[in-house]
Amino acid sequence: MTVRLNTAPVRRVLILAILILIWEGCARAGWIDPFYLPAPSAVANVIVTLFADGEIWPHLEATFGAAVIGIGVGLVLGIVLGFGAALLPLLAELLEPVMILLNAIPRVILAPLFVIWLGIDLGSKIALAVILVVVLIFFAVYNGIKEVDQRLIERVRTLGGGTWVLVREVYVPSVTAWVLGNLKVAVGFAFTGAVVGEFVASSRGLGYLLQFAQSTYNAGLTIALIILIMTFVMVLFTLSERLERRLLRWRYR
Amino acid sequence: MLRVEDLTLGYGGEPILKGVSLTVDSGRFASLIGPSGSGKTSILRAVTGLQKPDSGSIALDVPQNAVGFLFQDDALLPWRTARQNVALGLRIHGMARKEAETRADDWLAKLGLAGFGDRFPRQLSGGQRKRVAIAQVLALEPRFLLMDEPFASLDAIVRTNITQELIGWVERENLTVLLVTHDLEEAISLSDVVYVLSQGPNARIRSRHEVNIARPRDLLGTRDDPQFPALLKRLWDELSAEAYSETVGEAAQ
Repeated sequence: MTVRLNTAPVRRVLILAILILIWEGCARAGWIDPFYLPAPSAVANVIVTLFADGEIWPHLEATFGAAVIGIGVGLVLGIVLGFGAALLPLLAELLEPVMILLNAIPRVILAPLFVIWLGIDLGSKIALAVILVVVLIFFAVYNGIKEVDQRLIERVRTLGGGTWVLVREVYVPSVTAWVLGNLKVAVGFAFTGAVVGEFVASSRGLGYLLQFAQSTYNAGLTIALIILIMTFVMVLFTLSERLERRLLRWRYR
Repeated sequence: MLRVEDLTLGYGGEPILKGVSLTVDSGRFASLIGPSGSGKTSILRAVTGLQKPDSGSIALDVPQNAVGFLFQDDALLPWRTARQNVALGLRIHGMARKEAETRADDWLAKLGLAGFGDRFPRQLSGGQRKRVAIAQVLALEPRFLLMDEPFASLDAIVRTNITQELIGWVERENLTVLLVTHDLEEAISLSDVVYVLSQGPNARIRSRHEVNIARPRDLLGTRDDPQFPALLKRLWDELSAEAYSETVGEAAQ
């Protein structure tokens, strides 16, 4: 198998590898204080240890659980509310200002309130992930329906299609495109909600571990956790992109 | 037969059309020409029920489901393949999916698109998309065809070829047609009768011209008919007078 060196992904990996090598070299030469920035090999060692002794699994389970449930509930709620507001003007009158307000504020400020209401367990983290995702998806669906191409609606109507045919053939595919286009962002939002929620108050989760690492001035563990979170989000991001390309193949083929 | 009587129509404020009356007898091809903004498209939209008239009456001797509407733009569903787009109208009218898609393939083949059924609209050229749109309408075997400058966006060669195919089909099936066009030569070449609309707002039918060129017609050959240049000059003079009246009206304001 031959690897073409002149492609963008290969160039990126090469540059990253060079930077890591420089970082490692500087750390070994004693030019960087490991208290602030441990060597990449030390960070890798922390990650390996976390998995080897099994300490990480309950934390991963907590964060993933909150994020995945947050995405699921946020998607369903956002789609239902978005469809409802687009089709029922009265509901739009009530929901639109609330959603605009929620969209305008940094929604993570609600985290302490969720802890008071739902405790420090999974519920408050899911709630924060949901509130981050639901606003995004609500606007994707609401605007998606309001901005459906009128020519397509008229085309289906002149072919004899009624409301149900319009929903099935025009609204649902159009909204699906908008929602899938926002799915990658939703993944990031859900993880933000889960981790920030754990950061505020929790007994487990990657956010809890991060809070612990910060309070003990453990830079190695902090960087290891940041890398882990980034890796998992990137994996979900890639899966979302593949799902989008599969379901929206009419847009990419 | 289509009979439009005393049609007045607008979008609030001064009506675009006022007191428009016209008739298209069964099996005849009528064209509607007029300056921009004279409400040509609005008449077609009113006939299909997409636009509600302020007053007047529209009578058709065929049911609405026997009326086909070819739009100015192709307006195909981007998430459906060419086959699915053509089959859509058939399925709306109750045909089973498999049968509808087989019928759609037949229609695509008739319009020179055999083997293109699996392609999405964005994978087709402008001319191919237009053929799919024609197949979508003709597959429903309409008795009355409304066309709103359906080929305006195509280059001259493709436009002439598709128009020739369509006129052949109209003549063979003895369809009744009302065409909106800006192209005076196209109007004369295709029509049995040409209606000229005056400048809007308050546009009305300014004149009606019979075209007695024998059928079947060859699109390019009709231009050699002795009637053609004389009628073209009359239509040209009438539209120029309407354009002049608009300029004078604007200057007076």
